[in-house]
Amino acid sequence: MGKAIGVDLGTTNSLAAYVKNGVPVVIRDESGDALVPSIVSVGDDGTIFVGREAQRRLLTAPSRSVYSVKRFMGRGIDDVTEDARLFPFRVSGEPGGVVRIGLGGQEFTPPEISGFVLRELKRRAEEHFRAQGEFDFEVDRAVITVPAYFNDAQRTATRDAGRVAGLEVLRIINEPTAASLAYGLDKRDRGTIAVYDLGGGTFDISILRVEDGVFQVLATNGDTHLGGDDIDRLLMEMVIADVGRAGSGVSTELTPELVQGIRKAVIQAKWDISEDQDAEIRVEAAPQLPTGYHRRITRAEFERLIAPLVDRTLEPCRQALADASLEPGDVNEVVLVGGSTRIPLVRARVAALFGRTPHSEINPDEVVALGAAVQADILVSGRREMLLLDVTPLSLGIETMGGATSKIILRNSTIPASGREMFTTAVDNQTAVDVHVLQGERELADDCRSLARFKLRGIPPMPAGLPRIEVRFQIDANGILSVSAGELRTGIAQAIEVKPSYGLTDGEVERMLIESFEHAEADFDARLLIEARNEAESVILATEKSLRRPDFSEVTASVLDPGETKRIAEALAELKSSMESGDRERIQRQTHALNHATQHLAEVVMNRSVREALTGRNVKDV
Amino acid sequence: MTLKPIPVRSESTLECRSCGAGAPVDEHFCSQCSRILALGRHGDFFTFFGLPRRLTVDARDLERRFRELSRKFHPDFFYNAAASERLASLERSSYLNDAYRVLRNSVSRIEYLLSLEGFSPATPETGGVAGASRVPPSLLEEVFALNEELDEIRELRESGFDAAQLRVRLDAARTPIDRRREAHERELETLSARWDAQVEAPAAERRAILEALRACLLERHYIINLLATIEREAASLDPALSPAPPPGDAEPSAHG
Repeated sequence: MGKAIGVDLGTTNSLAAYVKNGVPVVIRDESGDALVPSIVSVGDDGTIFVGREAQRRLLTAPSRSVYSVKRFMGRGIDDVTEDARLFPFRVSGEPGGVVRIGLGGQEFTPPEISGFVLRELKRRAEEHFRAQGEFDFEVDRAVITVPAYFNDAQRTATRDAGRVAGLEVLRIINEPTAASLAYGLDKRDRGTIAVYDLGGGTFDISILRVEDGVFQVLATNGDTHLGGDDIDRLLMEMVIADVGRAGSGVSTELTPELVQGIRKAVIQAKWDISEDQDAEIRVEAAPQLPTGYHRRITRAEFERLIAPLVDRTLEPCRQALADASLEPGDVNEVVLVGGSTRIPLVRARVAALFGRTPHSEINPDEVVALGAAVQADILVSGRREMLLLDVTPLSLGIETMGGATSKIILRNSTIPASGREMFTTAVDNQTAVDVHVLQGERELADDCRSLARFKLRGIPPMPAGLPRIEVRFQIDANGILSVSAGELRTGIAQAIEVKPSYGLTDGEVERMLIESFEHAEADFDARLLIEARNEAESVILATEKSLRRPDFSEVTASVLDPGETKRIAEALAELKSSMESGDRERIQRQTHALNHATQHLAEVVMNRSVREALTGRNVKDV
Repeated sequence: MTLKPIPVRSESTLECRSCGAGAPVDEHFCSQCSRILALGRHGDFFTFFGLPRRLTVDARDLERRFRELSRKFHPDFFYNAAASERLASLERSSYLNDAYRVLRNSVSRIEYLLSLEGFSPATPETGGVAGASRVPPSLLEEVFALNEELDEIRELRESGFDAAQLRVRLDAARTPIDRRREAHERELETLSARWDAQVEAPAAERRAILEALRACLLERHYIINLLATIEREAASLDPALSPAPPPGDAEPSAHG
């Protein structure tokens, strides 16, 4: 059995963590970086780039690169048209169906894109475990976090992404709750905690009661469409308006390259202004913007601009408190999560609402992954010191006559939760009944989220109103719904035919999993080629360095025969030409040959270097 | 979201799916093999918590029991268990959460007791206007007076009468209704205490208490609807304010 990790699959960045000797730690690369930008880019040859490399390609190949895909998870094209406007990639889809993102000549669903990010995290984790000398380094299971306010379709899409990445998804848990686990590790005493989580694309507030190691969520609220991205967008629109006004030769058509250039500039300014009282927005010169663009923005201007966005987070906070039957003063601790909580105005507003200084001791970018790792460890080990009891963020209901909704499981119900509803027939000998499952707080079905429509079939023919069909709704600990049905008079289980409103069918997930393996193979080959080239390069460099020694002939004359020198030169030339070929096996063969040819030379050089070092010459001179 | 056929079954006592031993319905784990038992259809929320069928519940004690049982059943602790045990854990956890939500609130507790004792629900199913169709006789006088006053206020408002003065009249109209509501809360408490004291009483007396509880709840729902109507009128007097939620709506979970 392989290892289990905790994953924070973020709008902007993603990262993984695991529990090592009882302590959660984030997984970093050699340069100490934990964050993998949640960006995927498709190369001209179909190669998939993820993370930093994909981020670089945002500027060079913007229409082949996708970011903030979390905003599209579990959503339909009708939900995202507004969003899609400023995205440089192509977004399409059938009404009521899954969104599709066009990159190069290919189309991907959001779970596939997220799957690429997850696979990169899995790879990094495995590399980490391998480097630690672990024999069993394979990562095959994960706890993945989602915003607490994610609905069923968004959660299901996230789980599908895990499956597409070849991970068994142990559990989907809510980001704020995960953060509370990371914070609560050393504080097992009683208390009421508010977790304020403002990330790249989503906002959550969760109110928890902690007692005896049980972390019980009392209420949660939020906005799955509010985050740092929206702040970036305000700044971008300001810049675009400026550029247009100045008539600085910018064409009316904003090219993807220019949009990305502006986006990069405003993000940098946003970071700077959280540290200083003013910042400069500096857009590099581009073909459509020959002179470039720059302007100063003061902290006060910035805060005036973003205040309406920040204030939008306060109403969900009040609603969550009301649902938990609490006043702001009843909260003992406030915890900040998410990169956007670095903005001073956000901190000030939160402090004012709750009347206390919020906590931010743990890096707000890492705390969610750490909590996810703790939850993964609980599930895998069966440890019972801590238990998370979360709630479902939105009420679950069904459409009734006349387009109204009947609620079956109320929001903020502790999960797992179940509910049942009785159905019957309207006409004699009716054998099927349609059921429309909804999620949301509104009274009209049209205002709620459609989760699925299904048909109860095989009802035994009876007079109208006689069948008693029980439909059972079960929300599991992931916050994901399953539905089952049976006719109680006859005890016949009902076949259910379902059309998930914005989700993928199992068959589609299967297909994507297979494709991702094919991609994985192509990606794996690409990586092996890069590794082979790197190794060849280092052998070439070392060889050339030896050949360039001023004392080369002096050193080698006595010990190397001319044939040997010639063989080295030939092997070197062969390897160099194989580098161009892209044929990994040939590169490896030629690397091996050059290594072999230079073995004697290397020994001679080494011996001489050692002697020189011993007689006082600096090794660097060798 | 996933879909699957329902497992249809009707056991009256529990049978351990792991070792086949029998068990009473209020047991959670098999006495023979100590595995978690599948949830039967014949228990109730009170027996599930190991509590008598009483209306007075110590909130702290209930919360402690809830946490203890959560630690026993939660799916987190059955991740590596057999499929039948995982299902049992899911069902028992769901049932526990439903039971806790219903029992920790005094009104939903009474409604649940009534349903256990064979009474039809005292709540209009949708919690909406359906409950307003029939005026409880004891409220006829107040309802008549209130409706007259509301009609007048509405007319005056539409003809542009001073909102501040109308608000004073609305507050005055509200006072007797608020008083009735308070009286109902006290009556529910009294009746609940009587139920608890008469667990051993003859069936007819017990039934009389339940009838009284049900009538009281129906009136209470009616009063809450009246208050909501007043709130809506108050909101239309001041369009800048969004309508405040009615005090005590149809969602018992919102009131710990």
